[in-house]
Amino acid sequence: MFNPLEHRGIPLERQIRNWRELSVEPIDPELVDPYTRCRIIALNGIEVEAVNCTHQLIRFCDSDEVRRQLAYVSYVESQQQRVVNWLLPGINSPLEVTLGYEQTAVDLTAWVARNEPDPYLKQAYEFGVLEDFDHLYRYANLYEMVERRKAEKVVDQLTEVMPGRPTTMHHRHPYDEVRDHYDRDTTDVRSKLHALTILAAEQQVMNYYMNVGPHYMEPIARQLYQEISLIEQEHVTHYETLLDPRETWWERQVLHEYNECYLYYSFMQQESDPRIKAIWELHLQMELAHLQQACEHLRRFDGREPEQIVGTDGLPEAVRFEPNKAYLRELIATQVDLTKLGNGYVREAHERFREFQERIHGGEKPPNERVIDEHRAEFGREYRIETEGPHPVRELREPAEVRRG
Amino acid sequence: MVEQSQRTTEAREPDAIDLLLEQHARIEDLFRAVLRTTGNAKREAFEDLVRLLSMHETAEEEVIHPIARRRLDFGDAVIDRRLDEERDAKGMLAGLVDLADRGDGKGMDASFDAELGRLRLAVLTHARKEERCEFGRLRHTAGEERLRTLAGAVRAAAALAPTRPHPSLTSPAANIVFGPALAVADRVRDALREVRRDNV
Repeated sequence: MFNPLEHRGIPLERQIRNWRELSVEPIDPELVDPYTRCRIIALNGIEVEAVNCTHQLIRFCDSDEVRRQLAYVSYVESQQQRVVNWLLPGINSPLEVTLGYEQTAVDLTAWVARNEPDPYLKQAYEFGVLEDFDHLYRYANLYEMVERRKAEKVVDQLTEVMPGRPTTMHHRHPYDEVRDHYDRDTTDVRSKLHALTILAAEQQVMNYYMNVGPHYMEPIARQLYQEISLIEQEHVTHYETLLDPRETWWERQVLHEYNECYLYYSFMQQESDPRIKAIWELHLQMELAHLQQACEHLRRFDGREPEQIVGTDGLPEAVRFEPNKAYLRELIATQVDLTKLGNGYVREAHERFREFQERIHGGEKPPNERVIDEHRAEFGREYRIETEGPHPVRELREPAEVRRG
Repeated sequence: MVEQSQRTTEAREPDAIDLLLEQHARIEDLFRAVLRTTGNAKREAFEDLVRLLSMHETAEEEVIHPIARRRLDFGDAVIDRRLDEERDAKGMLAGLVDLADRGDGKGMDASFDAELGRLRLAVLTHARKEERCEFGRLRHTAGEERLRTLAGAVRAAAALAPTRPHPSLTSPAANIVFGPALAVADRVRDALREVRRDNV
């Protein structure tokens, strides 16, 4: 398998791009493969995480020489982020991008869950994916109400749109979001990469919702973004606590760069649009040089070799965007009523959960339920895409009286 | 579980802006349909698109833009730009109709698709600018009642330019003359001016 540690990539001093190179042609939102949009959204999250993490490191680093090296690579990564995110077209509304974010979260997390070797971590992804799946359904209903368009235009029929774990139940006491972390010395490298990937994606979702939400004028849109952005806050806690806090800054830098190589390499294999594929390939070549610098810092400050962190086998099986319908239906059927207690998962509505629910909902219907009520009232039905038959959980099927209008 | 309040939501009648948004969505669908089909299905979808675009732009010009011009801050500037965009799009549309009428459908070739792609981008961009700079602000300034009243005018316009519910891939060849589809604009304009006179 491709081993990023064995390649030098494009020399760092040749990586700064000019305005012409930064000015990328956006994708055509109407004709694009929805999974190309997902790859853009996922890689944008990865770059944002890389940039922000390096900014933090610079604040804790007392060598001017190293601060300059970090500042340089961080600037280059910032340019990469601008290129990747600027592939999204201006004629898409924030809500259409939101539908893309949720499709990304659903199908990326589902792929990771299917391929995660550690059962505890796998459970964390299986738990989380059912929540993003429900968010997609809520936003799809908002989209039809506010913009009079159907989510199928964005997600096609690749991802179903129907209830997952109801969003109301996602609000838990933050104590219960904290997970056990993997062991940096014994865990499979795939687990480290999966955790960083999903963390970066969820963090980007949180940042996007908490910033774009107030731009809407419709009260229900503002409220739904506010509600779901707070769940994404919890998801970030959920995923970030999977990482081993004993990993050093330099070790984490190596993992970040290695993970960026992994994802650009993966998506390059799968990309259907040749123009976009060329960008993934270019960015892979740039990341290889960033990885080299991170490895140098690891040797210098930690006295360790990168192989001790990521092994010698090269990249794992490539990450793929693909439909996960049967898998998601199985998870819905078996795990929809789970919540969290301490570092584990339970079915009972325990005391801390109940208290938190009472506190945050204040005895009223939260926005995620009102958006469905308002949609039903206006259209006489809900917005769903159920391509594989009726919803697997009877209670979550659309009420017959609503369907009849 | 939380005790849920029994507040029910009032059904909301679509207002003029809702109806125009629905037309934007339909225009997007029809562009996709024309680009993704061939033969008779393509001609049918294109005819529907021409008729819908002509009706839609006229309805906006007669019903919504005049209010926006009066009610929005910098209304003149906002609307003048939208009208410029609409004029450009109409020019492109007329060119496409000429192409399509040429030689019994043989004009709908690759160069037609390329030109249609240009029009599509122009129209979609224009529609989004309306949604962001005009419709959203109008909802706040024009008042719900006024916009709901205007829905009647938008419906009247739409009735004059019916489109098929879905551009069918299998329906028999339609006997299409594109010229009259463009003439929809005049019929709509006359009807709307009559509606307005009645309401004054």
